[in-house]
Amino acid sequence: MAQEHRNLFSGGRRRFTPWLLLAPGLGIYLLISVGPSLATAIYSFTDATGIRGLPISWVGLDNYDEFLLQGARSRDNIDALQRTLLFMAVVTVVQFGIGLVMALLVNQNLRGRMFFRTLFFVPVILGAVVQGLMWKLFLRPGGGPMDTLIGWFGLESQFLTGPSAFYWVIVVQIWANAGFTMVIFLAGLQSIPSELNEAAAVDGASGWQLFRNVTWPQLTPAVNTNFLLNIIGSLQAWILFLVLVGYRNGTQVLGYVVFAEGFGQTGNNTFRQGFAAAASIVLFLLVLVLGMTANFVVARRERKYLG
Amino acid sequence: MKQTVQKLWLLLVALALVAAACGSDSSSDDTASDDTSTETASTDDSSSDDAAADDDAAEASAGLEGTLRVMIHQNPPMVEWVEKFNADFEAANPGVSIDLSVIDAADLPTSNQTRLSASDVDVTTVTVTGFANPVQPYMTNVEPPYWQQLIEAGLLMDLSGQPFVDNYDDAAIAEGGSFDGGVYSLNLGRVSYSGMFVNHDLLAEVGVEVPTTWDELVGACDAVKGAGYECMTAGGADGWPIFVGAYGLLGSLYPDQQGLVEGLWTGDLAWDDEQGQKLFERYQIYANEMLEDQAAGLGHDAAIERYKAGDVAFAPTGNWQAGVLEPAADSDLTPAEFEWSYIPFPGSDNPEDNQILFGKYDQGWAVAADTPVPDLAMAYLAAFSEAETYNDFANTVNFLPTQPTATLDNTLGRSVAPLLQEGAFTVGYEQWFIGPDGAGQWANGGQGAMWFYNGDFDDAAAAAAQAQADLEAGLSS
Amino acid sequence: MTVTEVLTAPVRDDGGSTARRRRTKLASYAILLAFAAFYIGPLLMLVSASFKTLPEFFRDPTGLPENLEANNYTEAWDLANFPGYMLNSLIYTVVATTLFVIMSVFVAFPIARGYVKGSRALLTLYVVALFLPPALIPQFQLILNFGDIPVLGDLFFSFWPEGSQQQGLFNTKTGYILLFLTNPIGLIILVNYIKSIPRELDESAVVDGCGYARFVFTILMPLIRPALATVIVIHAIGIWNELILATIYLTSDDNYPITRGLIVFEGVYGSDWPKLAAAVLMLMMPMLVLYLFLQRYIISGLTAGAIKG
Repeated sequence: MAQEHRNLFSGGRRRFTPWLLLAPGLGIYLLISVGPSLATAIYSFTDATGIRGLPISWVGLDNYDEFLLQGARSRDNIDALQRTLLFMAVVTVVQFGIGLVMALLVNQNLRGRMFFRTLFFVPVILGAVVQGLMWKLFLRPGGGPMDTLIGWFGLESQFLTGPSAFYWVIVVQIWANAGFTMVIFLAGLQSIPSELNEAAAVDGASGWQLFRNVTWPQLTPAVNTNFLLNIIGSLQAWILFLVLVGYRNGTQVLGYVVFAEGFGQTGNNTFRQGFAAAASIVLFLLVLVLGMTANFVVARRERKYLG
Repeated sequence: MKQTVQKLWLLLVALALVAAACGSDSSSDDTASDDTSTETASTDDSSSDDAAADDDAAEASAGLEGTLRVMIHQNPPMVEWVEKFNADFEAANPGVSIDLSVIDAADLPTSNQTRLSASDVDVTTVTVTGFANPVQPYMTNVEPPYWQQLIEAGLLMDLSGQPFVDNYDDAAIAEGGSFDGGVYSLNLGRVSYSGMFVNHDLLAEVGVEVPTTWDELVGACDAVKGAGYECMTAGGADGWPIFVGAYGLLGSLYPDQQGLVEGLWTGDLAWDDEQGQKLFERYQIYANEMLEDQAAGLGHDAAIERYKAGDVAFAPTGNWQAGVLEPAADSDLTPAEFEWSYIPFPGSDNPEDNQILFGKYDQGWAVAADTPVPDLAMAYLAAFSEAETYNDFANTVNFLPTQPTATLDNTLGRSVAPLLQEGAFTVGYEQWFIGPDGAGQWANGGQGAMWFYNGDFDDAAAAAAQAQADLEAGLSS
Repeated sequence: MTVTEVLTAPVRDDGGSTARRRRTKLASYAILLAFAAFYIGPLLMLVSASFKTLPEFFRDPTGLPENLEANNYTEAWDLANFPGYMLNSLIYTVVATTLFVIMSVFVAFPIARGYVKGSRALLTLYVVALFLPPALIPQFQLILNFGDIPVLGDLFFSFWPEGSQQQGLFNTKTGYILLFLTNPIGLIILVNYIKSIPRELDESAVVDGCGYARFVFTILMPLIRPALATVIVIHAIGIWNELILATIYLTSDDNYPITRGLIVFEGVYGSDWPKLAAAVLMLMMPMLVLYLFLQRYIISGLTAGAIKG
C-alpha cells in the first residue's frame, strides 16, 4: 500500500521538485495511453472512418447493435468472439502445462540444463514476425518438415491454408510463449527453500507426493502470475494470425477484427474505425470480466496456500 | 535469518554510497534544478538522432524542383520499370528528387487512408482495381468503396482538363477513374483474370486438344494426370489466387457479370438456384481435383515460376503473369521453353460462352489534393502518359493498354487480341459485387472456390445454400 | 532471491534411490530432447533453406542443401535496406527505453514513497491500465492530428525538426518513439521494488544534503538495478519486435524497423523462400547473439521482476 509520507526532500521551493520530475512521465502516459483508451469508448458511438475530411457523426448504439444483434453479420462477430475464447482456453491451459513441465525438467541437476533453458526462451526474444516466418516455412505443405513428420504417422494437413489453420496458429502461439511461462515457474521453483524438499525426501515421499504437497503449494505466486498473464495475453494476441494466415473467414479473433475493420484490411477495404472501436470495447469487457474472475480465483488460492 | 543479514549489509553499503555521493556537495541549494536541466538535456540528445531529413532541397535552378512522394504496389516488373522511369525523370529535371515507396498490394487501402490523411504522399496508386464496386442504383444499405470515401473527404485532386488525360481512351477514364463528374484517377491498364495459360507442348505430348468445354477440360485433366503430369497450379499459399483463378469459371457460367450482381441483389438469381449449384459443384472440382497438391505451398509469384518448369498443363491466373513466361527482350530472365497461350477458362458446357475474356481495370494513379508540389505531380503524370513511354510500360507489365495508340507486342498480346476484338473489354463480377451491410462473411459466392480449397466446406449444395443465406441476411435487413 | 541468478542457481538433490534417479534422468532427457527438436527444428529449417537454390528448394524443401553457397545472403542483402532497418530498430529501442526508464523512475519513486499527494490514486491509475481497452484507434487520430492540439501542437512544431503541423507525428521517428514511452507493467514493477528499499536511505540522504534528483540518479537507480533490468528487458523486447504500430504509423522505407522491413520483404520476395530465409536469419542474428551473450542476465532479470511484481 502506498502510504503518504511527508516528503523528506521537501523544503522551501524544492517542495515541487517531485511533481516537476513526475510530470513528464505521467503526462505522456495520460496523453498516449489513458486518454486514447478512454476515447475508444466515445469513438465506438460514432461512424468515424479515420479518413481526414470525412464528417464524423454520432450513431448511438448502432455499432454495438451491428456487432451483436444483426443476424448473419453478427454471427460472424460472435464466432470470432467464441474463437477468441477457445484460443484463450487452449493456449492458457497447454502453455501453462508445457511451461511447468519444462521448468521442472530444467530445474534438475542435469547436464545441459542451461542449454535447454536458453533454447526454450529464444522465441520470446525473436518476436512474432520472425516466429511467424519461421513456422510458415516449417509448416510448408508438400514436403516441409512438419508435413514429413506427420506423414510418418500417416497423417496429412494443409496446415495454414486448410481448415486446421486456426489450430496451427495455436501451436505456434504456445511454442512462442512457453519459454516465458517456464522462466516464471523457474523463478518460483528456485525460491522454494531447499529444507522443505529435503525434509520431505527424508520422510520417504515419492516424486509425485513431493510435487503435490511441497512444490505445488509453494509455487503459488508463480502459478498465479502465469495463470493471469496467459489469460490476458492470449485474449489480446492476434499478430501471429496476421503473419501466418492473414484475415481469412473462419480464423479471425477479436483483436484482428479491430485492426482489420479500422484500417481497411477486411475484404471490402472500407475503414470503419467507429465499428472497430466498438469491437475493441467488447474485447475489453471480455478481458475485464475474465481477468477479474481469474484475479478472484487467484486471490482465493493465495489465501488457501499462503495464509 | 539469512535474509535479515543480507538486508543489513545492503543497507550499510547503500548508506556508504549516500555519503560518498552527496557528502561532497552538501551545500548546494539548486541541486534539483540542476538535475532537471540535465534531464532535459538528455532528452534533446537522444532526439537529435532522429532529426528529420526535412530539408527543402533549395535548388536555384529554373523549372521544376522539389521532392515528389510516389507510392506504388509491389509487382516486380512494374517496380523495376518505375524505378528506371523515375531516374530518367530526375535526370531530365535536375531540381527534382523522387521518393518512391513500394508496398504490398494488400496494404494499399491502409496506406492510402493513412498517408493521404496525413498529407504524406503526392502521387499514389489509389487502387489496383480501377474505381471498382461503385454503389449501383439497385443497391441500398451499402458502405461506399474506399476510393469514394477518399474522394468525398476531398483528399484526391480532380484531374479533369489536364491535357494528359486525353491520351487515354474514354472508357478507361470513365469506368476506371471518374466519379461524380470529376476525374480522380488515371487508369494505367486493363488486365484479364478470367483466362488460363495453356502449355501446348504438354497437351500435344499427352495427346489431347485444347479444351473448349467443361467436360473437355475434365477429360484433359484426367489425361494429363494419367500421364504423370499435373493439371493446374495456382498460388494457394496466398489464398486469393485460388478464387481469382476461378473467375473464368464464374464468367463462363454467367457471361453477363454485371447482370449476375444485379440479379443477386434483386432476387432474380440466387447462389443456390440451378445455375448457382452448378457453379459451386465446379468450384469444388476445380479446387479439390484440378489444382495440384503442391499449390498449397506456393505464393502467387512462385506458382507461375512452377508453371514455367513445364510439367503442369494449365495455370488459371491473371494475364499480368505472362511476363514471367515471356520476359522482356532486354531482361536476363529466361522465357518458358514451351509453346503457350492464354485462353478463357472453359467452364461452360456451351463453347460460345467460353470465348469471353473479361477482367478489371488495374492500377490507377491519383494525386493528393493538398500536395505541396502540384506542378511537379502533373509533370510526372504527363511524362508518364507520353505515348512511347506508356507503350513501353504496358508491354513491360503486360497490361492491356488503356491508351488507344499502344499495343501489346508479345505472345500474350497475340493470344488475347482476337478475343478482345470481338466484344469490348468488360469488367468482371469482382468489380461489381458489393455485399449489403449485415450480410454474412460467406455472401460473396464469387470466392467460393477458396472455401473448398481451405476446407471450409466439403459439400457444394451446403456451400451454395450458405452463400445465399448470408447474402439474404443483408438484403432483408 | 532478488538478485539470484536463476540460471546458475544450485540444484537440489531430492534424495531417492540411484536406480530411480537414473530412470528419472533418462525420462527427463527424452522429454527435453523432444521439446528441443521443436525449438531447433524451425531454426535449422531456416538455415537449410537459406543455402538452397530456388529450384532445389521446390524439389525438396526439407532435405539438406547440396552446396553451401551464400548467394541468397548477398542477394537478399542487396535487395533491401537492411542496415537502415537495423539502425532504426536500434534507435527506437535505445531511445524509447532510455527515456521511458528515466521518466518512470521519477514517477515510481514518489508513488512508492508517498511523496506526492494522491500517490495511491496514481498507482491505481497505472494498475487499471492493464484492463483498459486498446488505444489503437484514438491513438492513430492523436498522432495524425498532433499539430491540431491547442497550444501544445503549435508549441511543439515551432521548434521540433521532425513532423509538421499538417501531418502531425505520422511517419516520424519522434511519433513512433512517443508511442513507446509508457508501459504500466514496467512502472508497477518499479514501484513494488522501490518499496523494498528502506526509507532510512532517504533520511540519511537528506541529512547529507543530497538533492532529490541527484538521490534518484546516483543512489536509488543503482540499488534497484534488478528491477531496472527487468523493465528494460521487457520494454526493449517489446519495441524491437513491434509490428502493428510500425505498420500503421511508418510509411517510408527510411523509417522502417526490421519487423516492418521483413514483412515488406516477405510481401515482395515471399515466394523465394531461400532469399527470405536468408533475410530472416540476417535480421534476427544481432538480437540472437546479444541474447546468447546476455541470457543469464536477461532471464534472471525477468525472474527477479516476476517474483517482486
